[in-house]
Amino acid sequence: MALLELKGLKKVYDQGKIEVPALRGIDLTVEQGEFTTIFGPSGSGKTTLLNLIGCLDTPTAGTILFDGQSLGELDKKELALVRRHNVGFVFQSYNLIPVLTAYENVEFAIRLINKYDKREIRDRVMGILKAVGLEGLENRRPNELSGGQKQRVAIARALVKEPKLVLADEPSANLDSKTSEEVLAVMAKMNRELGTTFIFSTHDPLVMDYARRLIEIRDGLIAKDQRREQDAVLN
Amino acid sequence: MSYLLKIAFKNMFRSKLRTLVSIVAIAFGVMIVVFARGLIVGMVDKVFADHIHYNSGHIKIIDRDYQMRERLLTLNYPVDGLGGRGVEEMIAAMEALDKVELVIPRLKFGALVSTGDKLVSMSGWGVDPEQELAFTDLENKLVEGRMVRPGEQAVVMGTALLKKINRQVGDKVTIVFNTAFGSVKGVTFTIVGRLESGLKLLNEMVFFLPLDQAQTLLEMEDQATELLLVASDPKLVPQVLPEVKTFLAAAGEAGRYLALSYRETSDLIPLMDLSELMFSYVYLIIVLLSCVVVVNTMIMIIRERTREIGMMAALGLEGKNILQLFVIEGAFMGIAGSLVGAVLGHLITAYLGKVGFDYGEALSAMDAEVLFDTMFYPVASVGNAVFAFLLGVIVVTLACLFPARRAARLQPTEAMRAGQ
Ligand SMILES: Nc1ncnc2c1ncn2[C@@H]1O[C@H](COP(=O)(O)OP(=O)(O)OP(=O)(O)O)[C@@H](O)[C@H]1O
Ligand SMILES: [Mg+2]
Repeated sequence: MALLELKGLKKVYDQGKIEVPALRGIDLTVEQGEFTTIFGPSGSGKTTLLNLIGCLDTPTAGTILFDGQSLGELDKKELALVRRHNVGFVFQSYNLIPVLTAYENVEFAIRLINKYDKREIRDRVMGILKAVGLEGLENRRPNELSGGQKQRVAIARALVKEPKLVLADEPSANLDSKTSEEVLAVMAKMNRELGTTFIFSTHDPLVMDYARRLIEIRDGLIAKDQRREQDAVLN
Repeated sequence: MSYLLKIAFKNMFRSKLRTLVSIVAIAFGVMIVVFARGLIVGMVDKVFADHIHYNSGHIKIIDRDYQMRERLLTLNYPVDGLGGRGVEEMIAAMEALDKVELVIPRLKFGALVSTGDKLVSMSGWGVDPEQELAFTDLENKLVEGRMVRPGEQAVVMGTALLKKINRQVGDKVTIVFNTAFGSVKGVTFTIVGRLESGLKLLNEMVFFLPLDQAQTLLEMEDQATELLLVASDPKLVPQVLPEVKTFLAAAGEAGRYLALSYRETSDLIPLMDLSELMFSYVYLIIVLLSCVVVVNTMIMIIRERTREIGMMAALGLEGKNILQLFVIEGAFMGIAGSLVGAVLGHLITAYLGKVGFDYGEALSAMDAEVLFDTMFYPVASVGNAVFAFLLGVIVVTLACLFPARRAARLQPTEAMRAGQ
């Protein structure tokens, strides 16, 4: 069974008098364990699509099956629980809780799922922070971190609970190429070892190099959907 | 839940000034509640105490026909004992009743003093000096001289009354009155003491003389106009009253004597009950007013943190968690503010409870008959402070539900776009 099945997905933003059609009919299937990149010009609907997949917003028309479950049938609370347990988000602008340290921000996501004991939480949080290169910065608050460091905290927060699906909206926007590569390597490793499904939106060729599937969207429609047997970096 | 507590706690320090303003507003409201309630309790206590001391005792026993004419101070309907055998025997019998501590006779009569150009009317109270001192707070009110003693032709008067009749302690005064048989008598007394009281009645109307003197001069041997029964505890009155009534019935005097509890004999007491009820609403309104500040702060906080709320929702926080987050933050402010307010209010009330609180000459036009003192001692009690603290915490927390509900209903994507 596919992890995601989108059928005839449309999203129209109602701006009072004018209606903005952001997605105009998307059909897409994503299998468990895919490493996919969505690219396209600004305003083409990438963020909108990720938001719909991540149950942050509801489509105007069409259906989304997540793990066989139709999201349209779930209420607000059930959607929140899907996000909590199965989806990790990295947003276009890093959204951290300002009063919490880097460590606590990451911990927050994993403590929401009452699954791990204290030790396990600590090990996981420290492990993922180390993997994204933030070792030693655990106790800094967001305002004491650089843009790239904050982005890495956000990435660590999305990864720490090892969700089925990670959605990342321009994850490398604030990273230099070296850290980008480090972070991508962490994700690729998770993808290989845990079968985590990744969907990125990006303009960054480096990110595209890691992907095995490249989807181009234009004006709210899929223009191109291309799979390759090997990614450009790890093969 | 514990992470929500932690975040809510830390969030309080994000806009310190605003949090401080909210806390001060709550503290102020709670402080006023503590003080106002202390004042009301003090006032009510005082009104009750004065009424019991200078009017009714816990239970008042009078002739049925005396009740209507009490203000006229008539001597035609005295208490003259069971079957007319004298009050002394009756007092002894009643003091033997269960839970009755004391039975005090008073013989009240109207009297006049001439000051040369005008007549001053007064009310004479023949009393057993020792018992009066034991039962009432007269001792504190005696600012000069001493109380009268049995057997002496002496009186004690209030400061204002002495001024009206132009006399001082040590002077003599000739008092004119009617005896029980209607003949007019003038007797000269020595003024042995001066009372100072906030009660107009005691200050400008009453003079005390020994009961035996009053009885002899009024030709009312072994009689009184009223007996005041003092129970070992005012709370026991509902139990003692039926006992007294049964006693009177058994003595065949139920038709003649009335036994009235102190609650039945005061016009002020129902008023006090009503004011206590009314003030409960006033307290609520005071706290609600401070809530306006807190709710306003909450609304601003939520508006500022809209993106953050959206992000938390995206992480999988349910609406109810977000509601909790803000309500907890409000509750923290409520706890801090109420604590400060309750402590300060308690200290202020305790202080004023010691030195007293005169709320004025404003009432000087009031009828002297009314037992109403302008000097109040607010009562500071831990229970009162705890009440105001809990009231503050609960009302503030509930008030925060309104703005917090809005936060909980935000759509994650909409919220995250806010302010961009
Ligand atoms: N909340 C909204 N209300 C109205 N219009 C919106 C809203 N969100 C997006 N849009 C519009 O929908 C279209 C798609 O926007 P979207 O954010 O999905 O684009 P994008 O591909 O992510 O662009 P970018 O690369 O700049 O992030 C755009 O025309 C945008 O203006
Ligand atoms: Mg976008």
